[in-house]
Amino acid sequence: MIAAAGRVFILLALLVSSAGAVAGFAAARRGSAAGWRLTRVLAYAFAASMAAANALMVWALLARDFSVSYVAHVGSRSVPDWVAVVSLWSSLEGSILFWGLVLGAYVTAATRANRARHPEYMPYAAAVWLACGAFFSFLLAGPAQPFLTVPHPPADGPGPNPLLQNHVLMVVHPPFLYLGYVGMTIPFGLASAALLRGRLGHDFIRPLRDWLLLPWIFLTVAIVLGGWWAYEVLGWGGYWAWDPVENASFLPWLTATAALHSALLTERKGVLKGWTVTLVLATFLLTILGTFMTRSGVFNSVHSFTQSAIGPTILVFLALSLVWSVGLLAARIDRLSAEGRLEGSASRDGMFLVNNLLFVLLTFTILIGTVFPLVVEATRGVQMSVGRPYFDRMAVPIGVALLLLMGVGPALPWGRATPDQLKRALLPPVVGALAAAAAAALLGVRAPWTLVALAFGGYTAQVTLRELWLPVARRRAQGAGLRQALVESPLRQGRRRTAAYVVHAGAVLVVVAIAVSSTMGTSKELQLREGETATLGAYTLTFLKAEQVREPHRESLVARIAVARGGRDLGILTPRMNHYESQREPVGTPAVRTSLFEDLYLSVMNIDASQGTVGLLAMVNPMVAWIWAAAAVMALGGLAALLPGRRGAAAPARVESRGPAPSRVAAEG
Amino acid sequence: MAAPARPSATAAAAPAAVNRRVLLVGLFVVAPLIAILLLNLGRDPHSIRSPLVGRPAPAFSLVPAGGGPPVTSEALKGRPLVLNFWATWCAPCLEEHEVLVRTASALQGEVRFLGVVYEDEEDRVRAFLQRHGSSYPSLLDPEAKAAIAYGVAGVPETYFIDAAGVIQAKVAYPLSAQTMAENVRKVRP
Amino acid sequence: MRRWLAAVLVLAALAAGAVAQGRGEDPARVVGPPRGPRLQGAALDARTAEVAALLRCPVCQGLSVADSPSTMASNMRGHVKELVAAGYDEDQILAYFERSYGEFVRLKPPLRGVNWLVWMAPVMGLLLGAAVIAWALRAPRPAPAAAGAHEKPGPVEDVPGPDSLPADPALARYVLRVRERAYGWPGGVSPSRDATASAAPAAPAPGSGA
Repeated sequence: MIAAAGRVFILLALLVSSAGAVAGFAAARRGSAAGWRLTRVLAYAFAASMAAANALMVWALLARDFSVSYVAHVGSRSVPDWVAVVSLWSSLEGSILFWGLVLGAYVTAATRANRARHPEYMPYAAAVWLACGAFFSFLLAGPAQPFLTVPHPPADGPGPNPLLQNHVLMVVHPPFLYLGYVGMTIPFGLASAALLRGRLGHDFIRPLRDWLLLPWIFLTVAIVLGGWWAYEVLGWGGYWAWDPVENASFLPWLTATAALHSALLTERKGVLKGWTVTLVLATFLLTILGTFMTRSGVFNSVHSFTQSAIGPTILVFLALSLVWSVGLLAARIDRLSAEGRLEGSASRDGMFLVNNLLFVLLTFTILIGTVFPLVVEATRGVQMSVGRPYFDRMAVPIGVALLLLMGVGPALPWGRATPDQLKRALLPPVVGALAAAAAAALLGVRAPWTLVALAFGGYTAQVTLRELWLPVARRRAQGAGLRQALVESPLRQGRRRTAAYVVHAGAVLVVVAIAVSSTMGTSKELQLREGETATLGAYTLTFLKAEQVREPHRESLVARIAVARGGRDLGILTPRMNHYESQREPVGTPAVRTSLFEDLYLSVMNIDASQGTVGLLAMVNPMVAWIWAAAAVMALGGLAALLPGRRGAAAPARVESRGPAPSRVAAEG
Repeated sequence: MAAPARPSATAAAAPAAVNRRVLLVGLFVVAPLIAILLLNLGRDPHSIRSPLVGRPAPAFSLVPAGGGPPVTSEALKGRPLVLNFWATWCAPCLEEHEVLVRTASALQGEVRFLGVVYEDEEDRVRAFLQRHGSSYPSLLDPEAKAAIAYGVAGVPETYFIDAAGVIQAKVAYPLSAQTMAENVRKVRP
Repeated sequence: MRRWLAAVLVLAALAAGAVAQGRGEDPARVVGPPRGPRLQGAALDARTAEVAALLRCPVCQGLSVADSPSTMASNMRGHVKELVAAGYDEDQILAYFERSYGEFVRLKPPLRGVNWLVWMAPVMGLLLGAAVIAWALRAPRPAPAAAGAHEKPGPVEDVPGPDSLPADPALARYVLRVRERAYGWPGGVSPSRDATASAAPAAPAPGSGA
């Protein structure tokens, strides 16, 4: 029953989205308001159908209705309800269903927010969104059906992959990832609309940038959550392995960040319109490439699903999207003419271009590295790897250069500057650089790249803090008290500017924390008997005992380790080795003790309860928690940039919650 | 007297020509990408082909489980050899154990069978062999030296070596009667 | 004298242990005699970690032998340590593992055949990008009017951004006053621009009539 109803809703979604795409194009060509209204209705209908299908699936999962094929695939009676709900996105077909839900929500929000604005662009945009919606509906109706009826439903199912049940982060990471990934469809539609219409007016840049920024925030959080999850669950003590699917999530983030900066130039000076649009299109294309990489089974990755008919279908969509993008750009890019000019190379203008160059170069490099094993297999017939040494070698210099650029760019004035102005702008923050380098050297940092990163971090931190302080100082000069100035200036005047510098501050912290945690950690392999003690740095670890713990879905051997530092008892850590019934190899869960400056990380390599021995991989990882915190700062900064501006300025409606929540329309002055 | 310059009336209305450069760059990026992805559809990236097939089998000198002098690969030349890496904690190894034992007895005298234990302990191995029986000896590989030399990534993995000591086939999954027969044919003239 | 005796005893014990436990094969038969210096102590550990970071753990997805907590990786680390201690250099050790596992086990693509592309492409990209930027920032083209020929100036849409001012001075003064009122910028000039004291047109004193 549920299966049939689900299929109906998916077919409905396919129908209305296809019709909506056609209606949207027609409405845009004819400039018809009635046509636009019809398109809107069809868009809402698409979202509603997807929502209904998802609701049905969640119901089926909770009810353990094994007559639905997807539930038979991932459902289980022996897992708690929250795991059953999370199973919606844990496996292939369900994750595409979830994609449809998120897409529907975004299309609803974007359509509703702009229903009375930009009438020359919106029908085109909606048509493109609904065309994407139609593709995903087609996937759900054809190669990736979650609602097939199982003729003889089993009594119980295998449950989702045990690795996915281990940690609460698994609940949060995929939704954020989808909110980021799928959200990139919206600016893709807007950019396509600008190209189709043949102009990118000044008033349209703001919505383009805003609808790029919202998914960017989610994607930033999602990538960091993914790293955090890998850190807490996989047991090797790192958070990023340059796995193809990790890279797939990172690539669109890079081009989106470049696009955000390019859009700023477009908004201010009316230049680089074609380039901004190209970056936005590239971001969407990279999300489709990313989803292909994850689902096609072609790439050797932790995340990969098995191969199925979905791969070729997504590849076809990718090819079509690429042809669409290149064709549209070639045909219309010359119409997006500039209204101003970039001036000077040693200026902020020039630095924006360098920013874009570095981001695009990094994207290109990571893409080549990820795809290269496939190239070699096709040409030399050899299976080879492109791993961490390659990516680190390429990404570190570019990342460090970007770190410096975040300081040099804002320090420089717009337009041409005299050498004297340049000196006055660029020299003072060197103090920050030297201070940071000295502090680093004193604290024992010896790795050259880390020292450079810390020095550049100091430089950029000084510039960023100065820029954040500037409006406050200005307000105080006008006579306001300190508290008033602190509250008023960043929140009222130049909120976007403040928000941008907050994001930069977060970014500096992230890069510095990554540099320190990658090079300043210590690790040791320990073989301990019960009662034995070992030391790692300032920590004393005592292996108390090995316990056997039986849970419904797994059997674990837990090592109880007492931790002390400087004589003070810090409690007991319990890393474990889990044997899942459905998995061949045992899966370990590490124990992490996070403190302000470092993490103590214990991972079980081997454990024997009968003999009372344990093999531990013990690590001290500095500044890891800073990465998570700094990413939150970046996300908050991004959110602040999205909030409505001063009263009096046109303030398009914003969506401030995720999922199909009602949007709040800010008062229009 | 010059007439006032009239802005070209057609400039705004006529569609601009297609930007060839963009088209070329786009083609240069898109075509190779799609081609590479297309070519690789259908390949399984997780099955790694062994480079040792067709090459001489690495040498080893390992002690049998149950004691005795070490068995060297040199001494085994002259007769085809089936070398099976396994462990007591590996469930699929138990599945194929039956096939191996039966084939070993059937081909006694013609093809030699040897097991190499991977990441396990001697008493557990002896208990296993006592319980399940075996028609051929198993050797201990305490630090996985032999496993590394043979490029073993997990168990079970079986190598089919001909009389000259050249590896003719490697099977990285549990053997069935059929796959066993197919591969033994490759080393047995 | 005592150290020499200890060395002999250790060697004898090792030999006995090797005979008793069985041996793997001699790596020299695969990659030739050791080419580098024998290492010990902290140098040994550091070099082991370096080489292990270049080898891919065959059972884990993409992790290096240095990073992976699996027992296979631990065994491989032990093997690498022995090879480093015996004086084999990095190329020899990588070649030894490559003989068994294939080129797949090397995390850093060696320069063979088409592999050069993955190393050169980023460099070529950088040069190309720098060239494009240099071209974009070159001296202005002589006909800015032609650039706007395709776009019909719209009434509301083509407002200049916060950094450009109209050419007409009277109009510019009004724009500055509006900015002052709307954004609170003293003199109508953006604070960040003001701080770097770039060549902005002299702003009229705030509040003075135009």
